[in-house]
Amino acid sequence: MSSDRVSSYAEAFVSVVQAEGDLAAAENELFAVAQALAGSDELRETLSDRRIPAARRQQIVEDLLGGQAAEATVALVSMVVAAGRGSDLVRIIETAVERSASLRNKAVAEVRSAVALSDDQQQRLAGALQRATGKDVTVKVIVDPTLMGGVVTRIGDEVIDGSVRTRINQLREAF
Amino acid sequence: MRARIQYGGWARRPSRLRRRAFAGALVLLAALWFGTSPVAAAGETPGSCIVEKINALEFGGQRGAEALHVLEETAATHVDVGAEEKFASFEKKLAGCLEAPNPIIPEVTEIIWGGIAFVVLLALMQWKLFPAVKRGMDRRAEKIRDDLDAAETARTEALEVKAGYEAELADARAEAGRIVDAARTDAERVRADLVARAEGEAVEMRQRADLDVETAKRQALSDLQSEVSAIVIGAAETVIGQNLDHDAQVQLIESYIDDVGSQN
Repeated sequence: MSSDRVSSYAEAFVSVVQAEGDLAAAENELFAVAQALAGSDELRETLSDRRIPAARRQQIVEDLLGGQAAEATVALVSMVVAAGRGSDLVRIIETAVERSASLRNKAVAEVRSAVALSDDQQQRLAGALQRATGKDVTVKVIVDPTLMGGVVTRIGDEVIDGSVRTRINQLREAF
Repeated sequence: MRARIQYGGWARRPSRLRRRAFAGALVLLAALWFGTSPVAAAGETPGSCIVEKINALEFGGQRGAEALHVLEETAATHVDVGAEEKFASFEKKLAGCLEAPNPIIPEVTEIIWGGIAFVVLLALMQWKLFPAVKRGMDRRAEKIRDDLDAAETARTEALEVKAGYEAELADARAEAGRIVDAARTDAERVRADLVARAEGEAVEMRQRADLDVETAKRQALSDLQSEVSAIVIGAAETVIGQNLDHDAQVQLIESYIDDVGSQN
């Protein structure tokens, strides 16, 4: 799928979410969906398989998100899957989240941590990132036990890596 | 008609008249030869000599055999000495008839006829045989001379060919010598090249072996270091994972937030 098509779908997502009113909540829901797809190859391949009837793929989406996300969010994801663009769903959602955040004059900070961050920690981390980058950021936390410990933050193309896993890898490369 | 001369001899094809004349001369020569034998020239044999002596004997008014009979009887009586002497003389004459002629000195007539025959034969030979023999000898001499000339020519040619062969042989030997020298030089050069190449290859092999050894040593050290580091890192990872409790995680997060906040 071309980047123009991804952008068009993302624009549609943002427009629908903006019409529904709660951009921040929709961003969080879409971000969670994107992380779930990125973490499961089987789910991603199932939703991208055109041999599976569209109704069946839509049913899978509704079964996964029904009751846990807004109806608009479920409808948007279901629409993309039914259109046969499941393989681009992660890119569409990431682009939509970034544009939604930019509409709120915020930058999306993808924060990966070995353990969950408390609200206080998220707020203090958002403040620290704002001071470090000069941008008003919105933090999206992903719990990743493979990091072993510490935090990795990605804002756009910039990455701030403080994970134990990276330190151990650096130590392995140093040997 | 001239005689046709053949090589190595002569052959004459005379006319009929000449052949007849030649045959008549041969018959005459034979008659003269055989008619003038010593016995015929003397005109008597021992028998005829005895008969002649007996016929010429005269005694007691008798002649011939009767005279011999009377003489023999008279002499046997030993009365007439003259008769005994005559009978003895007659016996000597008869004994003379039985004596052989002189084997060395021929009779005069034999000498005469022999001389005539010799002269005739000599004339014939001088007339016919000697010229033919001379021509034959001349031809033979000429042939021998030609053969000698041919042999000399052949010898000269053979000598020339031999000289040529010797020259070619000398050239061949010289060429062979040059080839051998060149081959020896090439062999020496090839040997030197091979030795140099072998030495170079040996040095190269030694260097390559040293390099291989060094590379293997480095690889072994690297592998060992990797193994050790992997073991150490794995052990450290295990230890860290076991020691990262909640407080340690919180401490890491707080430290991260402080570090990010201090990066302005």
